Amino acid sequence: MLELTDLARRYGDVVALDGISFSIAPGQLYGFVGPNGAGKTTTMRIVLGVLAPDRGEVRWRGKRVDAATRSRFGYMPEERGLYPKMRVRAQLVYLARLHGAQPAEAAAAAGRWIERLGLTERAGDRVETLSLGNQQRVQLAAALVHDPELLVLDEPFSGLDPVGVDVLSGVLSEYAATGVPVVFSSHQLELVERLCEAVAIVKDGRLVASGTVDELRGSDGRTVRVAVAGEDGDGWLAAVPAAETVSRGRDGSLLVALTDGATPEEVLDAARRAGTVTHFSLERPTLTDLFRKAVAT
Amino acid sequence: MRGSAVRLVARRELTERVRERSLLVGTCVSIAIIALVVVLPPLLGLDEQDRYTVGAVGEQAAKVAEAARAGAGAFDAEITVRRVEPDGADTELRDGELDAVLTDDVLRSREKPDDKLVGVLQAADREVRSGAALREAGLSEGEVRAALSPEPLRVSTIEPVDDRRDSLGGLAFFTILILYGQLLTYGFWVASGVVEEKASRVVEILLSTIRPRELLAGKVIGLGLLGLAQLLLVAAVGLLVATATGAVDVDSDLLIAVGLSLLWFVLGYAFFACAFACAGALVPRLEELQASATPLTLTIMISLFIAFAVNSDPEGTLAHVSAFIPFTAPMTLPPRILVGAAPWYEVVGGAVVTLAAAAALIPLAARIYSGAVLRTGSAVKLRDAWRARSAA
Repeated sequence: MLELTDLARRYGDVVALDGISFSIAPGQLYGFVGPNGAGKTTTMRIVLGVLAPDRGEVRWRGKRVDAATRSRFGYMPEERGLYPKMRVRAQLVYLARLHGAQPAEAAAAAGRWIERLGLTERAGDRVETLSLGNQQRVQLAAALVHDPELLVLDEPFSGLDPVGVDVLSGVLSEYAATGVPVVFSSHQLELVERLCEAVAIVKDGRLVASGTVDELRGSDGRTVRVAVAGEDGDGWLAAVPAAETVSRGRDGSLLVALTDGATPEEVLDAARRAGTVTHFSLERPTLTDLFRKAVAT
Repeated sequence: MRGSAVRLVARRELTERVRERSLLVGTCVSIAIIALVVVLPPLLGLDEQDRYTVGAVGEQAAKVAEAARAGAGAFDAEITVRRVEPDGADTELRDGELDAVLTDDVLRSREKPDDKLVGVLQAADREVRSGAALREAGLSEGEVRAALSPEPLRVSTIEPVDDRRDSLGGLAFFTILILYGQLLTYGFWVASGVVEEKASRVVEILLSTIRPRELLAGKVIGLGLLGLAQLLLVAAVGLLVATATGAVDVDSDLLIAVGLSLLWFVLGYAFFACAFACAGALVPRLEELQASATPLTLTIMISLFIAFAVNSDPEGTLAHVSAFIPFTAPMTLPPRILVGAAPWYEVVGGAVVTLAAAAALIPLAARIYSGAVLRTGSAVKLRDAWRARSAA
């Protein structure tokens, strides 16, 4: 379990983080979303100890994180970086050793990831001679090569082609399935919704929402779309006081939000009384809808 | 600070740099310079006696020339005498066949004659004329000889005279040059290594598992060991060549002096490397390193000129003062140690001062380095780096 409590950090006069708290359970694939400049990278840097917080703390398995613990974390920074002149295999072995792996372990792990990520033929080449896609793979291997207990990736999907996205999604899901918490930031919200069990949405250095996507939808997230033949207005909906129209579609359908104990059945019954129901569906807001709503306020 | 992390970083610096061609080239150039310094002077005849050929016109001149030939040894010169005809003398002078031509009371040469040759010939002329005068006055041959060749003055000095100082002076000169090159080169390697990590952004991955101090220490130690190994190699080759050609007598004194010079590289490097690491940490790209390293480059350059001045006067005030200044001592003391002009208390005192300065600089450098190394966007001001909070 990774717990972040009340993290705050300023850069000069700029407040980057203003009291962020959330926690990630073992084996959870956790999405970290927010507009640019919301504080995602700063949060991740603090978790990895690259930056020190002004306030707050990071706990891992109940204990305050120190340098020894951090060396068992895996990290892919937003600004990718490897030694350009170092050879792929040597670089991975070196990074594994820096994280505390023994020489034999480090060599074995480097070999395993080189094979898994399809880099076998380039293992002896300098990183700078590799294509961008292959450099990304080496970067991922660098985050994974020491078998981390926690994986933190800053925008891991940016710049990947669809095949690369699939490979990375596979690796991350697989990794989380072994019980390792995996947290990553992304602007690709459909991807986050598909992959992640839970998300945190940040804005201006504050957490605006967190939890599973279902939890975020909450009760006020329930909406129905309904169309009644021959009815252009929404006068019939007055029969259900706890429901209100959100918007009207071009096909004449209504998007109706349900509040205060109103049920979809009541809306359906009211619609039937008004005429022939040509469309009725429960609408689940997407993460994108939730994100827009969360950051708009 | 964890030793294992420092060791890993140091080893990477060593193994990656050893593969670079520039290291091989640098070592070869240093060795070539040493070899040239040791081997060239005898080949060029620079360390041999001065040789002159003197033409004599007439009996009187022949006597003077003969006396000059006999007395030349005392002047560390060798004179060959040849009788010449007055007509051809100028032609031979012009062709360089003769260095000087003596007639009765004239010393003739093509250009202004060599001072040493003039001295020898004047002395010989005085001797011949005085001898003739004394004989005319009725002195016996024995009395004339006694009057003309008195016991020469004995030379006595307050300071002991070390005959080897001259031959070692040249070696000391090149020790200064090599130390200068080594401090500057390895200082820049430390700085450019830091910039490379910043520019390639790999530093963020590194700092997620090791601390800035460990990264700094590993880099400085790794490159320092490489620099020391390279110097050892150059020194060993230099001593071998010197022994093989007999240019310098290699004895235990010289070996100790060379060993001490190597030690001084370590001290000087410890001082400058930390400063260069800061210069590197303050800039985001290699192109901007030159500017931020200028104060350090200048300091090393000034030390070089002071070291040259000290080498020409190893006992002067500058020599004594510079031994106790942290940035000049690593370049002014080794040449003095080499020629045996540095008293032990200056060597120890200088070492203590330099070590203390390096020890004081290391935490300052670590703080500036930690504060600046993650700021990859643009150049960082020294003051901001100092104030920046970063991971401990």
